[in-house]
Amino acid sequence: MSQNFSDNCNSINIANSFNYTPSNDESKILAWLSPLEPWVRHRDIGAQRVDGIGAWLLETREFRRWRNVSSEDESNHATLFCDGNPGVGKSYIM
Amino acid sequence: MVLLIGCDNSSLVIDRLCDEAVKEDTVVMCFYFDFAARNEQSPVNMLGSLLRQLVSGQENIPEAVVQSFLERKRGIGGRGLQVSGVLEMFQTIAATKRTFICVDALDECVPAHRIVVLESLRQVLRGSPNTRLFVTGRPQVRSEVEKRFGGATTFISIQPTENGVVRYLRDKLRNDTTPEIMSSTLEAEIMKNIPGMNSETYAELGAREKLP
Repeated sequence: MSQNFSDNCNSINIANSFNYTPSNDESKILAWLSPLEPWVRHRDIGAQRVDGIGAWLLETREFRRWRNVSSEDESNHATLFCDGNPGVGKSYIM
Repeated sequence: MVLLIGCDNSSLVIDRLCDEAVKEDTVVMCFYFDFAARNEQSPVNMLGSLLRQLVSGQENIPEAVVQSFLERKRGIGGRGLQVSGVLEMFQTIAATKRTFICVDALDECVPAHRIVVLESLRQVLRGSPNTRLFVTGRPQVRSEVEKRFGGATTFISIQPTENGVVRYLRDKLRNDTTPEIMSSTLEAEIMKNIPGMNSETYAELGAREKLP
């Protein structure tokens, strides 16, 4: 477990450090941040994907520009919105 | 570095971003809106989930997060996590990194939540110039995104390509669960008819939803 974490724990509340178990606290903190687990859906979708479909998107000028844009020209293309009707496979391109 | 969502060639955009993430100090986060889960997918849980992924991508849990957690544990302001608190922690950690946030099906986020989520993401983008946001959704939420992010948005229309449909059908036919019914003649007949394919055939072949 992290040095930062323990240091911080001590500095904030010494009493806590007596029954402090790093790995346990780490998972508690993560669960506290959110109970949602989007990676489960990510894996489900991945399992159903047919490889290669939608790869054209990665080659578009818009996608490349969005991905490579540097912070200097952040004002331009920080957001890429892919719209499409139901069933065209939006979730599968993500 | 991505720990939670995994870069395992099971997705398109996220995988491409991960290729790069290995090289740099980059974190890729994702979220999938689902109308059926609308009650759990509150703004604070959604944004907290992004923060959770951001935190998990670090070697150590950042101090700002540990502190907030301990303060809450001791009952200071003990009302749990709020959107403002999540954003504050997010900004502190994301400010020095390159981060990609990928959000699927924005239209499945209920309107009242969507306003909060979009405004929060706007603040994240403003506060961390190295953050990029990828969003998918039905055309009807396009104007909301446009309104919120203004000229900083690029739009791409997703449509099925003929090549994609052929690949999809081939894959489904190859894995057909009723081989006694499926014959090579039938298969050829199906493939031959792709350009004028009607949505019923498509649905029968196992598509999740009908073509538009």
